Parts: sequence; structure tokens; C-alpha cells
Amino acid sequence: MSLRKKIPTPRLIPTFSVILGLVILVYALASFPTSAQAAPSFSAPRQEDKPNNDFCLACHQEEGLDKTLGKESLPVTINPTEFGNSVHSKEGLLCVDCHTDISDYPHPDVKVKNVRDFTLSFTETCKECHEDQYLKTHDSVHQKALDEGNKEAAVCMDCHNPHTQTRLTGQTSGELTPAARLHIPETCAKCHDDIYAFYKESVHGNALTEEGNTDVPTCIDCHGVHNIQSPTTVTFRNSTPFLCAKCHTDSSIMDKYGISTNVLDSYVADFHGTTVKLFEEQFPDQPTNKPVCTDCHGVHDISKPDNPDTGIALRENLLVKCQRCHPDATANFPDAWMSHYTPSPENFPIVYAVNLFYKFFIPAVLGGMIFYVLTDIYRRILNRIKGVKHS
Amino acid sequence: MSPKNTNLRASARQEKTFARFTLGQRWEHAVLILSTFTLLLTGLPQKYREMSWSQDLLSTPERLELIHQIHHIAAIILAVEALYHLGRAIYLISRRKLSAAMFPNMQDIRDAWHMLQYLFFLRKDKPIFGKYNFEQKVTYWFLFFNFAIMGISGFIIWFPVTFTLFLPGGVVPASKMAHSTESVVAAIFILVWHFYHVHFERLNLSIFTGRLNEKEMLEFHGREYQRVAGQPTVDQNE
Repeated sequence: MSLRKKIPTPRLIPTFSVILGLVILVYALASFPTSAQAAPSFSAPRQEDKPNNDFCLACHQEEGLDKTLGKESLPVTINPTEFGNSVHSKEGLLCVDCHTDISDYPHPDVKVKNVRDFTLSFTETCKECHEDQYLKTHDSVHQKALDEGNKEAAVCMDCHNPHTQTRLTGQTSGELTPAARLHIPETCAKCHDDIYAFYKESVHGNALTEEGNTDVPTCIDCHGVHNIQSPTTVTFRNSTPFLCAKCHTDSSIMDKYGISTNVLDSYVADFHGTTVKLFEEQFPDQPTNKPVCTDCHGVHDISKPDNPDTGIALRENLLVKCQRCHPDATANFPDAWMSHYTPSPENFPIVYAVNLFYKFFIPAVLGGMIFYVLTDIYRRILNRIKGVKHS
Repeated sequence: MSPKNTNLRASARQEKTFARFTLGQRWEHAVLILSTFTLLLTGLPQKYREMSWSQDLLSTPERLELIHQIHHIAAIILAVEALYHLGRAIYLISRRKLSAAMFPNMQDIRDAWHMLQYLFFLRKDKPIFGKYNFEQKVTYWFLFFNFAIMGISGFIIWFPVTFTLFLPGGVVPASKMAHSTESVVAAIFILVWHFYHVHFERLNLSIFTGRLNEKEMLEFHGREYQRVAGQPTVDQNE
């Protein structure tokens, strides 16, 4: 009994497949008379009404394939290997999930007359799966530029090529992987190459591009991702110290490099930071002429403070920064800023001495006076109770 | 009007008073009150800008700017007053037109020691004071040095570029720290020491009226009373 059951099964499967394959082949031959030889073997479509990816790739893997849009030509070759490595392929998406207008050959006419418009026509498509990110982009500077008529403003596909984009976040963590972080600046550099040139030379960019160190901030750590805000607004400027402080007060990052995490506190305690903090908290959209981190340290070109050429630990380099707001400042002036130091006998001894003086003076002298007055009150009350006339 | 009232008025008229402060000194004190109070009122919110009461006051950048300007104007008024006071005192004392009674002397130390003994029940009598007792001299000299510190440090942090032309940069943050801390010292001192002695211990309005009556004079400035009356002074230490 068991033998009779087992024997016909292996025979049936190939037979069934051959029949099915033939049916599809006939169908394909009928639909694709010109490229029939390019689609010799493929399995059954996943869903009956949608052609599978191999079906599309059968033609689209051909090198040099392009589509004429008006006066421009759009390359439509898809590298099967690259596509196969993409997150969309790995997650089992079908070409026609995004290319919803195509289900057959010949494809329907493309109405747009240039390549950019063709790309832009797909933005809504990403929303189908990535609604959160899609909605965020609507608050971004890129969307704003797009709305103002700048068609070059970045849309989803400019940063994430849907045919080659690999997975960026950890499968379980949902966090951006270090490997993904490594390539972020290159993505932004596709348009912002001038900024990338500065970034690459900066202490952060250099560590990322030369050492592969992903502790450093990439573009998105300061500018955000998807809902990227304009960095030229007053609000952005007033919040700069707190932006930098996100990493620079985090000892789990800073300790490795021996960098102080006291930079925000010392900034807020000193002249400029006191005001900036007040503005940030009380009136974030009002401009202040007090410097924020980037005014002295630089923006994309931040260098190490002890860099011999540009480092602001060197007084003559700092003086140049001071003079931008205090044009008459002279050589002594940079020391008016305590450079994030906590006063100590080594650093800013005068300030340390003043502080030390009051630590003793206040309890000793004012405390003594309070004690004296209290004793006087006590003696008076006692005199009154006893009925003794004072003095 | 009852005869009793008439008697009272008559006795009030006959009450002997003693000149204590000149009109000029009383005006100086009025300027001090106004400028110091303004400086504390506009300075402390800047020091304590973390606090909600301060942030209610510094609610817009314009308010912050206004408060800065009021502080600066009050600072100039106080600085001018301090220089006037100092210049005038030096001039008058050098011409022997003003007594040097405000300067501390050995008698003050003896009086302070005596007072402490009294407060700790080691003596039954209180010291007999001269024109300015040691408590009043402490008030004067404490605030004298306080204004000096506040004034110098205040102008350094107001004009850091100018002062670092000839001073090391470190004096600027040092001044900021001194200015900020000394302001609280001043506020506590005025509240605890000065207000206690002129409001709570007894209401002493002589800085406004310019005069002390005989009773006050006898009770609080016995030595001065004796001097004015031409009586021999009592040595309490014997």
C-alpha cells in the first residue's frame, strides 16, 4: 500500500511541471513574439494575474536597453544580480508591484516627456509601503523646493534606488546599521558634493570615510532624515548646541576618544551659552547674535581643537573667530572665554580663586552676620520677657 | 482740641533733635536705594534665568534687551554717585570740613567685643556708641567694597574688549563670577544686616529726616551725645 502511494508522486511532479511550463511558454510566445528566445525557462507566476520578476528581467537584463522619453532616453536595463541583492527583491516584491501600469507587453505608453518627470511620477508609489517616511518627506526642505517648482529636489528614488537599495536597518532592531551609516554622506553628496568635500576633510567626515568609524555623525544625524529641515533657520541655529550635545554629552561615545562631556554645561555657564539657552527655551524663533558651537568650531569643516592649522585651542586661531563679532579684540581677548574649562589652579586660576574666595567668604562672613543678628534678636526677646529695659 | 493734645504738641515742639545727616547725604542715600534696587531687580533675573520668575520677566528678546539697558543706566548712575561720594569725602576730610568718624578704629573693635559679651550674657550693659556704631560702620564699609567690586567687575564684563587691551583675558570670566556672586552677597547683606538694624531692631529714619531725637541719641549714640553736650565721656572698660 505504502509503495503504491509513494511511487507515482515523484513521477507526477515533473509531468505536471512540464505541462504547466508548456502552458506558460505558449502564453509567453504569444505575448512576446520578438523576445521569445530570451525567456526560455521560468517558474510559475506567484500570483496568477501578475507576471513575476524573472518574466520582466527576461527582457530588462539586456544591456543598453533604453526607453525614449521625448528627447531624452531612460535606461531601463536592470542588473539581475544587483536587483537580486536589493531589499525589495529579497522581500519578494514584484516589479509590477511598483510598475503598476505594466502587466503585459507591449507596455502602455509613458505620458511624461522627460526622465525627471518619469522619476517624479513614482513618488506616490513608495507611499504604498513606506507611508511614515513618505509623510515625513512632505515636511522636508526637499519637498518645499519641489513645491516651489524645483524638479531637481530630491525625492525617494534619488536617495534610494529602488532596484539596488539594500537593507539599511537591522532586521530586528529597526536601527540603521553601521554599514548603512558609512555610505550616507555619499548619498547626499550626489547633489551636495560641495558640502561633502568639506565634510570629508572634517574630524567627523575623515573618521567616517578614512577609518570607517561610524561613531561620528553623518549628514542625517544633524539634519535628520526624510523630514530634513532647513539648517538656515533661526530655530535650527538656536538649537545647535543641543544638537551637538546629543553626542558630545554622551560618555558612551566620548570616553573612547577622551573627549569631555562637559562641553554643553560649560558653554551654558559661560557668556554666550547662557543667552543662547535662554533663547532656545524662551523664544526659539528669535535671532540672537551670540555664537553657537558652529560659529567657532565650524559646520561641515569642524576640525580638532588642537589641529595646528585650524584648531581653536590655539589662541591666534580663536582670536580670528572672536574678531568676527568683536572686531577690536586683541591677543588677550580669547582668554575671556573659558574654552569649556572648569576653572582650576591650572586653567583660569583667577576665576578659580574668585570662586574659592566666595566659598569661604559667604558662609563665614554672611553666616557670621546672620548668627549675630539672630543672637541679637534672641537677647531682645529675652529682655522683653524678663521686663528688662534695653540698654 | 483738648488740653492734653496741646500739651503733647507743645512737648513735641520742644523735643531736642540732633543733626545726623546733611541734605546732600540724604539725597545720596536716596540715589543709592534707587540705583541698587534697580540693579538687583534687573540683575538677579539675569543671574537666575533658569527660574520661572525670571523667565516671566525675560519673556521676549526685547525685554531682555530692555533689562540690560536699564541695568546699564542704573550702573552708570551708581558709578557717578560713588565717584561723587568718594571725591567729596576726600575733599572735605582733607580740608577738615568732615569728621573722619566713619573710619573704623580701635574703639569699634572694643565695642564689637563688648557687644558680643553682652549677647552671650557675659556682660549686663551694652556698649555706648559714638556717632557711628560699629554695626553702622560695617554697613558702610561692607557696601563700600561691595560697590567697588560690583562696579569694577561690572564694567569689565560690559567692555571686555577694552579691558583686555591691558589686562589678561581671564579677568573677564573672573569678573563675571565675582559680579554674579557679589550681587547675591549684596542682596543678602542688605536684607539681613542693614534692614535688621534700621527697620526691625528699631525704625531708624534718620537717613531720611536727617535728625535723631534726644532719646535715640542717648540710647544708641551715647558717646556722641556726651561729646555734643560737652560731657566727659565714660570709659566702659574700667
